[in-house]
Amino acid sequence: MYVSGIARTKFGTLAADLPELAYDAMCRALEDGRKSISDINAIFVSSFLCGPLNRQLHLNSVVASLLPGIHIPIIRIESACASSSAAFNQALCSLNAFDTVMVVGAEKMTSSNSLDQTAAIAMASDRSLDQQEGLNFPAGFALVAQQYMRKYKTSHEILEQISFINHENANSNPLAHFFHKRVTMDMIKNSPMIASPLNLFDCSPISDGAAAIVLSREKRTVRDVRVVSAQFATDSISIAQRTDLTSFEATKIAARKAYDQAHIRPKVIDALELHDCFTISELIALEDLGFCSKGEAAKLVREGSILNGGALPVNTDGGLIGSGHPIGATGLAQIFEIVTQLREEAGSRQLERVHTGMTHNIGGTGGSAAVTILSRC
Amino acid sequence: MKYYCRHCDKHWTYRIKTCIFCGNATQELVETEHSVIGYTQVHVPSKGHEDVPYFAYLLQDSDGNKMIKKSFNQYQIGELMPLEGIQKHHKEKIGIVGSGLLGFGIAEHLLRFDYPTIIKTRSEANVKKLFAKMNERLLRSSTPDQAQIPLSNLAVSAGYEDLEACDIIIEAAPEDIEIKKGIFEVLSETCGKKTIFATNTSSLSIDKLSKSCDRPQQFIGMHFFNPVSRMDLVEVVLGQHTSSATKAEIVRLSVAIQKKPIIVKNTPGFIVNRLLMPQINEAVALLENEVASKEDIDSAVKLGLNHPMGPLALADLIGIDTCVLILETLCNDLSCQYYKPNKLLYDMIKEGELGQKTGKGFYTYP
Repeated sequence: MYVSGIARTKFGTLAADLPELAYDAMCRALEDGRKSISDINAIFVSSFLCGPLNRQLHLNSVVASLLPGIHIPIIRIESACASSSAAFNQALCSLNAFDTVMVVGAEKMTSSNSLDQTAAIAMASDRSLDQQEGLNFPAGFALVAQQYMRKYKTSHEILEQISFINHENANSNPLAHFFHKRVTMDMIKNSPMIASPLNLFDCSPISDGAAAIVLSREKRTVRDVRVVSAQFATDSISIAQRTDLTSFEATKIAARKAYDQAHIRPKVIDALELHDCFTISELIALEDLGFCSKGEAAKLVREGSILNGGALPVNTDGGLIGSGHPIGATGLAQIFEIVTQLREEAGSRQLERVHTGMTHNIGGTGGSAAVTILSRC
Repeated sequence: MKYYCRHCDKHWTYRIKTCIFCGNATQELVETEHSVIGYTQVHVPSKGHEDVPYFAYLLQDSDGNKMIKKSFNQYQIGELMPLEGIQKHHKEKIGIVGSGLLGFGIAEHLLRFDYPTIIKTRSEANVKKLFAKMNERLLRSSTPDQAQIPLSNLAVSAGYEDLEACDIIIEAAPEDIEIKKGIFEVLSETCGKKTIFATNTSSLSIDKLSKSCDRPQQFIGMHFFNPVSRMDLVEVVLGQHTSSATKAEIVRLSVAIQKKPIIVKNTPGFIVNRLLMPQINEAVALLENEVASKEDIDSAVKLGLNHPMGPLALADLIGIDTCVLILETLCNDLSCQYYKPNKLLYDMIKEGELGQKTGKGFYTYP
């Protein structure tokens, strides 16, 4: 199975509405893959908050309205921040029945006020156990960060470095939310507290944006990139239902299965897009994905391994923190970046010698997780 | 809420009666003491949690079961945390004297938080009516988020003797100092020595009222706002003799029923009515002088001051007679004619136009 076409919009505060964003991404993914809309057999659409924030459900039918007279199967899939990866996985499954399918993820978040946004994003956690006790999204990861920092004697300084690297990477990605904004170490250190110990720049921004991918059963062009493995795993929704908060079981299981399916070990990965919704989740992901042992991720960061040019370049597009987090499009944007790198079309941020890349996308506080491995054919 | 299957060693935090793995019945685990294993101070508000900063605690019991709990109070890691508002056991027994709008509303709110509540009403004939009304109210507003609220925590009585074992009494009788004094005299004789007396008075002096009881240290103001279910404020009013233990107890109760307590020393009108009543009185003056229509006065305050309601509509909701009583109290106790109720208010009382409760005030209510 192959990725034939990719596209993403600019992420950030955009003028376009939800259908316009989705349409833009779909058009350009078709164009990138040299396909016409009539080549597409089915579409998998993902958006996390179109219901609560845009008062729009039945999004699959909205997509049908964007494609008058097409009438193909279109399905919406939601798994919080991992929505588009879940849609991507379903699209892959559907290639048993279809030749060419499309995945499109879109989110329009900035048109709502912050009280609504924060409450809506918190819907990724358990209604009665978490939301009603005031555990919004930053607060959940703040508890995770606190547990991690206590267990492994980590200081906030390492999180500041992660924030700095991601923001700096975004400066070389013209489509990133933070492309034009230079975020200095001083700004990071002095940013206001959101939920202790996390500050503003520990958090990914609220972004609008969309991404789309065309998937084919057969390889057709040299630009096609092979999906070596794609795995999706789940876990209990509330951190109060877990034994260990410093590690996400769903990530570990999806990663193990993905490595097994691909018959590779972590050291083979040349480029990694991981889910840094908050700085702390980057540390935890590096460990859960098997790039180091538990409690050792800070060392990888300190040694510069995750920089472009390091042994394991991470989030070359800026990650969720720098590139933006239009939730329902995020997983596809990660695949967009890896495919761009594998095709050697990444411009100023192009890595050298990239053969195999990985994406890691989680829903909520690790209640769902997707790991995808892609490689040059 | 914890359910457990001992055959499969599976836990649920939902009301699961049968294990999906083995088909056997599960057992409900009784929550034991929880200690704080983590916390975050949340500075970003969200819908439903507008008041920041607050703490979100990660708690764990001796079996390793965890839960998240919001609180405005600070606890340290390792500390045991009291779980009022969650634990169904050891709730204070609360007596409400008066079954009017506010008394009934306070009782309803307490029942929603599983507090055993007794309403003292004046006549035996009311007892059945109040039960039926409460049943209807609790049923009507039960959302899927709330478990069904048991009526079994409610008692209604026409006699004071049933209030004997209450931990806290909240008096919500009419705003008349003689009536209230009479009630506290009887309560002093009926209730146990530990019972705290709280009055829901909106303007009467806590110190004057406390003279009518035998325990001024355990006497305090606990001023709720109408409608109780939607107004988050409680004015906790300290008299000269109110002890810090009494204050702490009432603050704790307020927080446990998800109200925001503010502390104010005994003073005429406390904070809210001291600010509100002059505004209502000025609005009445504007109307009396035909400066603007009642609708425009209310719109001005709603849109220009960002109040959810205009002063004249609010006066109708509170009751014109109550407004006059509070204004008169402010006028007398502060010895200041500025607070003297405008003539129009007295005219309305004469006509029986007392606001929403009589169907007519500044506006008419069909």
